[in-house]
Amino acid sequence: MESELNNLKQKILGDLEKIKDLPALRALEIKYLGRKGELTKILRGVADLAEEEKKTAGRLANELKKEITARLEQAKIELANIRSQAYADPTLPGSEVKTGQLHPITILQNEIEDLFTSLGFMVLDGPELESDYYNFTALNIPPYHPARDMQDTFYVDLTPPAPLLKGGLRGVIPSSLLMRTQTSPMQIRAMKKYGAPLRCIVPGRCFRSEATDVRHEHTFYQLEGLMIDQGINFSHLKGVLEVLGKKLFGPDTKLRMRPKFYPFVEPGSNGEYSCFLCRGQGCRVCKNTGWLEIVGCGLVHPGVLKAGGIDPSKYQGFAFGYGLDRLAMLKYNINDIRLFHGGDLKFLKQF
Amino acid sequence: MLLSLNWLKEFVEIPKNLTPEELGEKLTMHTVEVEKVSRQADKYKGVAVGKILEVKPHPNADRLRLAKVDVGREKLEIVCGAPNIAAGQFVPVALVGAALPNGLVIKPAEIRGVKSNGMLCAPDELGLGEDHAGIMILKKAEPGMKFSDYLKLNDVIFEVDNKSITHRADLWSHYGLARDISAFLNTKFKQVKTPLIPLYKGDKPLNPPFKRGAGGLNIKVKVEDFKLCPRYMALAMTGVKVAPSPKWMQDRLLACGTRSINNIVDITNYVMLELGQPLHAFDKNFIDKIIVRRAKAGETMETLDGIARKLEPEMLVIADSHQPVAVAGIMGGANSEINADTTSIIIEAANFDFTSVRKTAQKLGLRTEASMRFEKGLDPTLCELGLARAAELIKQLCPGAKAVGKLADEKQTPLIPLLKGDKRGLGPINLDLNWLNQYIGENFSAKQVKQILEKLGFGVKIRTLGVHMDTECLFSVIIPTWRAVHDVSLPEDLAEEVARIYGYNNIKASLPKADAAPPEQLEERILIRQIKNILSVGAKMAEVYNYSFVSEEQLKKLTPQPPFQRGAKGVIPLSKGGEGGLEVIKLVNPLSEDLAVLRPSLIPGLLENIKTNQAQEPEIALYEIGRIFLNQPGADELPWQEKYLALALAGNESEDLFRKLKGVIGYLLKELNLEAEFEAVKAGTLGVQVDTECLAEVYANGQAIGQVMELENNSARALGLKKPAALAEISLAKLFAAVKNNPARQYAEPPKYPAAVRDLAFVVNEKILYNKVVKQIKNFSSLIKQAELFDIYQGDKLGAGKKNLAFHIIYQADRTLTSAEIDAIQSGLVKHLEKEIGAKVRDF
Repeated sequence: MESELNNLKQKILGDLEKIKDLPALRALEIKYLGRKGELTKILRGVADLAEEEKKTAGRLANELKKEITARLEQAKIELANIRSQAYADPTLPGSEVKTGQLHPITILQNEIEDLFTSLGFMVLDGPELESDYYNFTALNIPPYHPARDMQDTFYVDLTPPAPLLKGGLRGVIPSSLLMRTQTSPMQIRAMKKYGAPLRCIVPGRCFRSEATDVRHEHTFYQLEGLMIDQGINFSHLKGVLEVLGKKLFGPDTKLRMRPKFYPFVEPGSNGEYSCFLCRGQGCRVCKNTGWLEIVGCGLVHPGVLKAGGIDPSKYQGFAFGYGLDRLAMLKYNINDIRLFHGGDLKFLKQF
Repeated sequence: MLLSLNWLKEFVEIPKNLTPEELGEKLTMHTVEVEKVSRQADKYKGVAVGKILEVKPHPNADRLRLAKVDVGREKLEIVCGAPNIAAGQFVPVALVGAALPNGLVIKPAEIRGVKSNGMLCAPDELGLGEDHAGIMILKKAEPGMKFSDYLKLNDVIFEVDNKSITHRADLWSHYGLARDISAFLNTKFKQVKTPLIPLYKGDKPLNPPFKRGAGGLNIKVKVEDFKLCPRYMALAMTGVKVAPSPKWMQDRLLACGTRSINNIVDITNYVMLELGQPLHAFDKNFIDKIIVRRAKAGETMETLDGIARKLEPEMLVIADSHQPVAVAGIMGGANSEINADTTSIIIEAANFDFTSVRKTAQKLGLRTEASMRFEKGLDPTLCELGLARAAELIKQLCPGAKAVGKLADEKQTPLIPLLKGDKRGLGPINLDLNWLNQYIGENFSAKQVKQILEKLGFGVKIRTLGVHMDTECLFSVIIPTWRAVHDVSLPEDLAEEVARIYGYNNIKASLPKADAAPPEQLEERILIRQIKNILSVGAKMAEVYNYSFVSEEQLKKLTPQPPFQRGAKGVIPLSKGGEGGLEVIKLVNPLSEDLAVLRPSLIPGLLENIKTNQAQEPEIALYEIGRIFLNQPGADELPWQEKYLALALAGNESEDLFRKLKGVIGYLLKELNLEAEFEAVKAGTLGVQVDTECLAEVYANGQAIGQVMELENNSARALGLKKPAALAEISLAKLFAAVKNNPARQYAEPPKYPAAVRDLAFVVNEKILYNKVVKQIKNFSSLIKQAELFDIYQGDKLGAGKKNLAFHIIYQADRTLTSAEIDAIQSGLVKHLEKEIGAKVRDF
């Protein structure tokens, strides 16, 4: 047994000297120490020996295994050293890890949702195929009101079920289901569902029947904000819009408000922010005005509060809304609004 | 709308130190959006009056001459080709740097070897006509004088965004806008005194102060529908001489974008631009009387623009006893047009219902300056002012003109429509100063509020409630007629008036105080965000947004049968349903046929995306989350519209995209702590043709949530795809339910005893499903915890119709398992599989 082991040892060491690379070393390791390896066989054989012989043979075989394992480890290190003597160019690029992308509007929407969540606003979602009542009538825009001029509407070829007709439509408009032209119908739905006090934002897809070009889209994204509580006033609206402006365009951003008519607010206003690019000096982005027209806003019209089931003598509120696509265009310097729906990976992979 | 500064100045005092640009900005900040402020003089920047001192021949050119011109500060040598110049003449000189109305920019030039510093201008080069025969010869003037000053072009034009005044009928005129300017500048406003000529005394119309009924010229006016025409005033005049209007009037009209026609028509336009009341002039000879009525079915009329219009019974017309002579509030008829021979006229000043005018204008596709104003809801008392001003101007331009007959004035009572609850249209509105200050968040004094409202024409009475008049004060506010129609009716409206005249920018900003309670979060939105992050960040896919509209053609290509049935069973369509059985919803007014149907699936969009990218991108991995629509009842009494997630992979022929996509779905569900399973199904709901073996239902914790499939090659090609593609669509509502029903994540202690792993490979009929095999293995012994498929092979070596499956079988128990124990189970398992699924164990 002992001599058998010695012979094997000589054989292994002899083989080892001839080894020049790691794969060969690995093959050698398997040949002797693998599951069906020669040394392994001997070790297994030990169990069948007589009790007396077992003791010595077992010890010797184990010692040999230890020694061989150590020699192999040593050889591994030496071989590795040989390999690492080749010059490794430190400027070689890393191997590629693929990336995925969120849509730029999603990225922006997430940022703004986080801001308003931190201010205690709920984030709501609403139907894109809406009734005329919620999209217009409940927002103080009765059929044939001139304010409907401001929004060209897509109607669908369905007549709504009877309960909706009771909502004040009386069949004035033949097709009174439409693609929502704004996120504002959710003002009414939110008021009805949650009552007052209420703080929410509604980001979402809106539709207007407009011919598309680099600046116009029939499908676009709005973010609506609504806060209703006792004693909410115009000054609060300004305060919140200032916070929004600083978040969107940086801490030095100034807010400018001017009158603008929206039927669902009174007073109505348009909020402009000082241009982030030229800091109000006038440039291409702000069309040399120094201001970016961003947010339509105002105090919620008492008629709208009533439509939402809220008593305007107890509660007041402000509402605002703006285009997420326009913001994304400003932020990422995107020059064609149609890119958002183009599905072109050359565009999408930049985000 | 274009507004002239000079015209505005006739009604409001504008401080001299306020530049037009500053006024424009103030207008924007207080009243309307001014899009552009243009000085007329800017048209001739760099053009001066020059005096020709001498004219010499050009040394190198016969047809050219050399003029020495005095332009005040210097004397210039200018080469000129025109034959009509001579020493001593005064001419317009475009100096170096000038940009002419025709776009020409003047630079120093050398013409045939002689330097020329400027250009003498012909009328056409200055945009003053077509004449190019010679240089424009001016009257004697100061050399160096600005050419714009010579032409007396000193007006400034404000361009107002019409959309910013849809709610303010009173602002569609110089007079109305001047009133607002006087309020925010706090300067004098010149109120027009009614009547300009005596048409009225108090409320009572007077007969004109002329001889009555000369030649039986009394006008008979009959209004059949006072709802659509609350007021109709008409005045007949004779002795009119139609001629071009004077230059000052033409200039004004032109400055405001209106073409001059003749004195009578110009006067009607002039009064509209000045006071906001649209007028119409008929040739009296063609009209026997005036009937304001609805059009009769089948009636037609040629309007002034020469187009024959089909009239409909809901349209309001002005007619005589024979035929319609005007579409009320929109445009007159050609049959009674003022012409060169007209000598007697009827001037109409009327008030029409805003809705009726709007509907009719829309139907006829005819929007005019008049209809735009009526659509906003005009003040019915404005008719008097407009008619009187027109009469005054006609007397001024045609001194021989005489008003004849009785002034017609048919009107409803009350003239101003009532507010809700029988409240008078003119108020009063009770306005509480305390409330106002609270509503705006400011500290206005009673005096301040009163002054602002009075400047705007409101009648304000103060009733103090306490000692502190400045804070405890109740106003009783009367609405002026020009703000009473569809405009001001509530205290909130008055609050806006005060706030905007004071200036929104002067109101301080403050943050609202609110409960610190955290907002209720919509779990579905959180889940959507999570899914997007898993797919974009984890699975390295790109998120796309596609339109909600697809083409019917595209849908038909995808699905010859109507499989778009989702949601509740036993659906009742909202309408009678589309033709061809597709229960999709169509747009009534699509932008194009490509965007005519609301998408019933996200798949068509993703297929288009693959086509967009397939030429450039070797591998495509996309997903979209969005709503899809079907003609069946959904939530909130609206048609069904639910959010879906759709995924698409496209890539190499060699890749098994079907399994890859299932891998993505498995990964997504695992991240959501759910287990994915795939079951074979016979029919797809996605609306594309696939081989059934490349189609599976996706289960999350045992709940079906969607489908995954690989496109069959021929149908992929038919759809224009050049790469193999796998697609999946998952209902977010169902996925959300699975997430909600899933117990919260719990830590499980790792097993104390080691697991034993045995590999098992066997050949089975390829039709035997993986799911069945795994079930057979797992159910065989309670000690088998996992069966992990690590290899699958189908190929020639095995023979047709066979597949080899290789599993790691993982044994685990609450003790150390012995080899013998495991061997016994494993050999039992082999026999079991042989018997149950005809497996043949393969020797390695």
